[in-house]
Amino acid sequence: MLTTVTQAVVNGLLIGGIYALVSIGVSLIFGVVKIVNFAQGEFVMIGMYISFFLATTFGVDPLLSLLVSMPALFVVGALMQHFLIRRVLGLGDMPQIFLTFALSLLLLNLALMLFTANYQTVHTAYTDAAIRLGEINVPVAKLIAFVLAMVLSAALWVFLHTTDLGKAMRAAAQNRDVAMLMGINPDRVFAVAVGIALALAGAAGSLLVPFYPVYPMVGQVFVLMAFVAVVLGTLGNITGALIASLMMGVAESLGIQFVGADSGLIVVFVMLLLTLAVRPSGLAGGAR
Amino acid sequence: MIAKLARRGAVWLGALALVMLALPLVVTSNFALDICIRVLLFSFIGVAWNLMGGYAKQLSLGHAAYFGLGAYTSTILLIDYDVSPWIGMLAGGVVAALASLPIGALCFRLRGPYFAIATIATAQVLMLLFLKFRDFAWGAEGTTMPNLGDAPLMMQFDGKAPYYYIVLALLALGLAVTWRIERSWVGYYLVAIGEDEDAAEAVGVNAARIKRDIYMISAFLTALAGTFYVQYIYFIDPNTAFSFNVSVEAALVSIVGGIGTLWGPVLGTVLLETTSALLQSWLGSARGGVQLTIYSLILMAVILWRPTGLIGLFTDAWRRIVPAAAKRERATADG
Repeated sequence: MLTTVTQAVVNGLLIGGIYALVSIGVSLIFGVVKIVNFAQGEFVMIGMYISFFLATTFGVDPLLSLLVSMPALFVVGALMQHFLIRRVLGLGDMPQIFLTFALSLLLLNLALMLFTANYQTVHTAYTDAAIRLGEINVPVAKLIAFVLAMVLSAALWVFLHTTDLGKAMRAAAQNRDVAMLMGINPDRVFAVAVGIALALAGAAGSLLVPFYPVYPMVGQVFVLMAFVAVVLGTLGNITGALIASLMMGVAESLGIQFVGADSGLIVVFVMLLLTLAVRPSGLAGGAR
Repeated sequence: MIAKLARRGAVWLGALALVMLALPLVVTSNFALDICIRVLLFSFIGVAWNLMGGYAKQLSLGHAAYFGLGAYTSTILLIDYDVSPWIGMLAGGVVAALASLPIGALCFRLRGPYFAIATIATAQVLMLLFLKFRDFAWGAEGTTMPNLGDAPLMMQFDGKAPYYYIVLALLALGLAVTWRIERSWVGYYLVAIGEDEDAAEAVGVNAARIKRDIYMISAFLTALAGTFYVQYIYFIDPNTAFSFNVSVEAALVSIVGGIGTLWGPVLGTVLLETTSALLQSWLGSARGGVQLTIYSLILMAVILWRPTGLIGLFTDAWRRIVPAAAKRERATADG
């Protein structure tokens, strides 16, 4: 019993690392640009397809293809901010929600047209490998993904707290108008923020490929998880999103273990609705 | 002046009603009639969504919850208790309206995008629950409706025309409700909440109550559409009844047509469904994803260039073609 619980917790934490990459991206965009990116999951999907095609056509290891998917999606993010999001800033909820929502629908359905709905997988040398710690099995591919996810999250934290651009980003998040008065160029800061967020989504995609099937709808699971994590972890709070993501990974994994294979999402949604009932401002508290 | 304009409106409306009533006499192909039924059905769902999403700007992406509750309530009553879907339809509406109370109590704690996300979550939870309740609601396999032949009392018919008239009546009901609300004080309160909820509260609008009430009405109407749909296709399963596409299309047709306007959802549905039908006959249904690709491109174009939707496009064009009309309108507004 204890072993089963520990195993479920380990599995949950490992996948929670991936959820963290996605939700930190959502949180970063929400914090800086004040937009909820409904398309974040589709960028995970694009990251996965980049790594999938690099692996199947050129034999590039998915972990190495991180070096392609992250910069590629950074550029996509900066362009998306410049050509799309910038045009709806300050226009109210409807355009702000439905612009990225439309983008999500578009990318998902383009992927359906191009790649069909079939599941595809990449098999690497470490896909089936596992480390045994006593009774507990730690799958190597998930462990690598988790460690790299934590490294990237830490790198983002260092970037936001030590570099001028990072500090400018936090300043713009706190008060856009004052930040502009201090000489911060919001267009540049916003473009970099969205770029980083999408690069994280791309990284999540590449890290998933060794152990997760690739298909056009794959992003939906991750984006829903990210939304719940971002609400749980208090909107716009990046550390909160990270902790909430790990918790949700564990909750989902325990749900799968003890309630049934398809109940992981129920557990997570119920967590969201319960949190809303008890603490509408999220676990970390603080008003919106 | 106003009386004259109102009279002209009534004449147009009467003419439109006549055309719609006579349509099945002219259009006899099942394929074309099926498209008409889809257009009317999604117009109706859009009209129901628009009450909440359009006037009060509470942008729900979870109306499939009520569509599904309506569909399941009438089906369970029909199959397990032999209750006519006509009664089941009303029962479904009541179930949905009641369900909207706790769901609304939770979701209205959030605003804007997070309200939308919370509504997605509620619809998903309901779908997952119905997937789990195997002995209660047939689980993931779903069930087909018992075929009773031509049984008008059980909402089953031989041809497609009767279905056409049912959904036409539903749409007329939805439009009448919207028209009534739009012209009452509730309508003005809704618009005030949509513009700025805090400001509305500050001048004495009980936003929480108005939102709760309009959400109930919207849920009730959406549930009627759910019952109609499963009766029409003779099949129900959680993925059909709680389909995310229903939630999306409800919002989409309203935004494309003209959010927060009486006829917006209808115009939006006509454009989107016609495009989709044309695409299907042109490309065949071989490629998945084509329809929603086109929908999302249209949606993006509307948001970036014409946030008032087709209605806004038409009004602008009308003003440009008939400058006199614009002048008359201004005179009406002043007088």
